[in-house]
Amino acid sequence: MTRNRRRALALLVASALLLLVGWLGHVLAWPIAQTLLGMLAGLGAGGLLLALLLWWSPDICESTQPALQRRYLREFMPAMLGYVLALFLSMWLLRTFELPDALRALVALLPVPPIAFAVRAIIRYIRDTDELQRRIELEALSIATAGVSLGYLSAGLLQAAKVIDVPASAAMIWVFPLVCLVYGVAKVVIARRYS
Amino acid sequence: MLSHVRELRERQGWSQGELAERLDVSRQTINAIETGKYDPSLPLAFRIARLFGKRIEQVFIDDDAAR
Repeated sequence: MTRNRRRALALLVASALLLLVGWLGHVLAWPIAQTLLGMLAGLGAGGLLLALLLWWSPDICESTQPALQRRYLREFMPAMLGYVLALFLSMWLLRTFELPDALRALVALLPVPPIAFAVRAIIRYIRDTDELQRRIELEALSIATAGVSLGYLSAGLLQAAKVIDVPASAAMIWVFPLVCLVYGVAKVVIARRYS
Repeated sequence: MLSHVRELRERQGWSQGELAERLDVSRQTINAIETGKYDPSLPLAFRIARLFGKRIEQVFIDDDAAR
């Protein structure tokens, strides 16, 4: 078994445990904040998907120059950590305090700057990676944006015809995660053509 | 496009990772070039040829000419 496949297996086990803890906590009504349990389950689900992608494309870790990969992780990981912390802070402030509208808007938008830094890290990575990786990124991003746009158009038409009824806040907040998800899957599929 | 990149690399005793580092590309790109699954751009093809001290047509095989 290759090193990356061993990593995939370890990630699979850890993610399954997180998902199990999140689900059990919810079902058995443990005295832990539902938000935290939801985040654990979400991390577990995301980790499971990443483990499957890593298993299926074991050379994905060699898809970029090592120095560039280190720089990307140095820039991306703190930004994502900042996003999670800002999200928790924002949610807590909005639930705890009665704020005037302008301040509510600022507090609600607290997670946006860290995400902007994460996007900056992604753009810098794509700009500095090699020509084959840029081709793969372009194709994956095209599929992700076109696919999610088509999905949202279809959902919008169904919503207008009153076939479905999705709350607007839920619909809007899932655009970015869906683009990331489709992009990730598309990238692995496309990269396999060249391996 | 087929090429002699693998033979030239092995003659130098370099791994794919080492060649990738010398050319400032990913190991995946080197593998794709060696297996003929990716045709490098002209600047990269020239860099590869220069690294091995060869002319570009000595490294990369013109598919039409080969037929």
